[in-house]
Amino acid sequence: MIKIYKPQITLFHCINAFDNCAPLTVSSVGAFELKMVKMACSSMVKDVFLLRAFEAGADAVAVFVCPEGQCRYVEGNIRAKKRVNFIRNLLDEIGLGGRRLSLHNVECGDIEAAGRILQQVLSDINDMGPNPAK
Amino acid sequence: MIVGKQKSIAEIREIVSPYKKLLVLGCGTCVKTCFAGGEDEVATLSSALRLSFKKDGRSIYIEELTVERQCEDEFIREAAVAISKNTAVLSLACGAGVQAIARRFANVPVLPGVNTTFIGVLEKQGLFTEECLGCGDCQLAVFGGVCPVSRCAKKLQNGPCGGSRSGKCEINPETDCAWQQIINRLTALGQLDNLRKYNPPKDWRTSHAGGPRKLVREDHVI
Amino acid sequence: MKPESLSNLQRVLSDGKFAVTAECGPPRGTDPEIIRRKGELLREHADAVNVTDNQTAIVRMSSIAACVHLSAMGLEPVMQMVTRDRNRIALQSDILGAYSLGIRNILCLSGDHQTFGSQPDAMNVFDIDSVNLVHMVKVMKTDGKDMSGFDLISSPKMFIGAAANPFADPFEYRVVRLAKKIDAGADFIQTQCVYNLERFKEWMRLAREEGLTEKVHILAGITPLKSEGMAKYMAKKVAGMDVPESVIKRMGGAPKGKAAEEGLDICLETIAALREIKGVHGIHIMAIEWEETVGRIVEAAGLSPRPQAA
Repeated sequence: MIKIYKPQITLFHCINAFDNCAPLTVSSVGAFELKMVKMACSSMVKDVFLLRAFEAGADAVAVFVCPEGQCRYVEGNIRAKKRVNFIRNLLDEIGLGGRRLSLHNVECGDIEAAGRILQQVLSDINDMGPNPAK
Repeated sequence: MIVGKQKSIAEIREIVSPYKKLLVLGCGTCVKTCFAGGEDEVATLSSALRLSFKKDGRSIYIEELTVERQCEDEFIREAAVAISKNTAVLSLACGAGVQAIARRFANVPVLPGVNTTFIGVLEKQGLFTEECLGCGDCQLAVFGGVCPVSRCAKKLQNGPCGGSRSGKCEINPETDCAWQQIINRLTALGQLDNLRKYNPPKDWRTSHAGGPRKLVREDHVI
Repeated sequence: MKPESLSNLQRVLSDGKFAVTAECGPPRGTDPEIIRRKGELLREHADAVNVTDNQTAIVRMSSIAACVHLSAMGLEPVMQMVTRDRNRIALQSDILGAYSLGIRNILCLSGDHQTFGSQPDAMNVFDIDSVNLVHMVKVMKTDGKDMSGFDLISSPKMFIGAAANPFADPFEYRVVRLAKKIDAGADFIQTQCVYNLERFKEWMRLAREEGLTEKVHILAGITPLKSEGMAKYMAKKVAGMDVPESVIKRMGGAPKGKAAEEGLDICLETIAALREIKGVHGIHIMAIEWEETVGRIVEAAGLSPRPQAA
């Protein structure tokens, strides 16, 4: 059986932005695999988790955080942003491409915005090609 | 604490590339505090290295371990088994730790992953500053608790120099002039007269200039 | 061995005459002709000529060598010595050598940090600072000893100079530092170039109050401005320099092509004002790479001819 290539996205999200991301797996663009990682606060995206997502085969990693000023833990989304930026630079240095990792401020429960973002991520994967370290 | 910065991923790759089985050994004390080589940094670096090698179609087996400190046998011992299972060790400790490991496990290449820089403090979140360079003859009492050896770019004993401008050092507008700090501090303490006194040339014998140093405490040796 | 003799600069100042010193930088190469040409431009316009020591941490012919070339053509050098590049051993050694070659004046400096220069990757020395250096040369002169306490077989008796900057921060402390240099053994002081006369007068007043003008000869620094650009550059980019807005405006307001003339006018006005200040015993003209103006300035200021060497 020939295995069809399906882009793999790992999505880290805080439960305050989304408590259920299942609806996102249905997409009009095409089939893709979505792995979801729920966190109590988006600041919990430790550097190593982001990298291990790529080691596990993700072609792209997206991080959904609450809009600035609306983090219930005050600075969580800012910390997440700093960590994501750090790893983006590291990914550039390794040669995987920092573009594969992105952070998005999403209003609580805004499934439509989430869907649009994922479509953009899929489009980016299409540009960049699959993760070269798969 | 001792402050250091992790080497670039490119440089580390270069250093470890001859080896197939690598132990990335972290240290839980100084380098953890300055985010260069603690447990988290070991994990991140190992993951980055695996991705980097895989991308080039190479495989490398990486084991991750962090001990409390790499400058004391009590903790170094804990790494012995892991070291024996690998063909090289990338130590993320300061230069002292790297050498201590290398001395005790002389049959295995022990490589540095961190550039050790200075003795300093965490001045505020995310900012580490150099404070002491270990001259071995501390005169902070004379200088109001501000060291002209480590914090004056010219190590002046009778400063400031003509380049002190608005409290900043001539070499960098963001660097405080240590002598301005000394004057401010002594003024606040009512001890500015300390500076009327001539400070003779420093005796550098107690510093590294006198050769690599050691400290022996007979009262602690059985 | 030539018997010790007063340096010309020392004689002029001791005789109570208003002194003039100038400055030149050695070449970035081995050709002594370059130094000789500068020397010729300065001949008879200065009582002594400073020779810089790897200024701004850029490698040039050594100060000692350039001083010897000037001596050979009959000029009197002031050897500048920085503590950035040499430790106390090398400094003492060079002082003995310099004196043996006839050099009689020394200006003791810490030196610009090497990060300014063309080889910022070099290690610096700063084993001792400028005040220590003054003291070291003084002890050689008065006690005939080197820093280890050894009685030198014959010892150098240099006329000792130090630098002072009335325009660097912190202002209140500058006079304390001047006092320290004098106590350490400085015979003469050359200051950073003066554009802000008010501030300079204030510094001189504080120096007089401390009795320092009785103990040391102060030579005020003078650098003629060539252009508005130069004035702005010095105001913004050179550490420890005070160029008032009014001066920059004057330079900017000069008619096209006449900026240098304006600069020289400002220079002459400054010199005239300096001569009125009690405690100022001379001027130190730093017209680097513009040595030809020194003669014009000295003549126009009425300071020609210079006292003849005995």
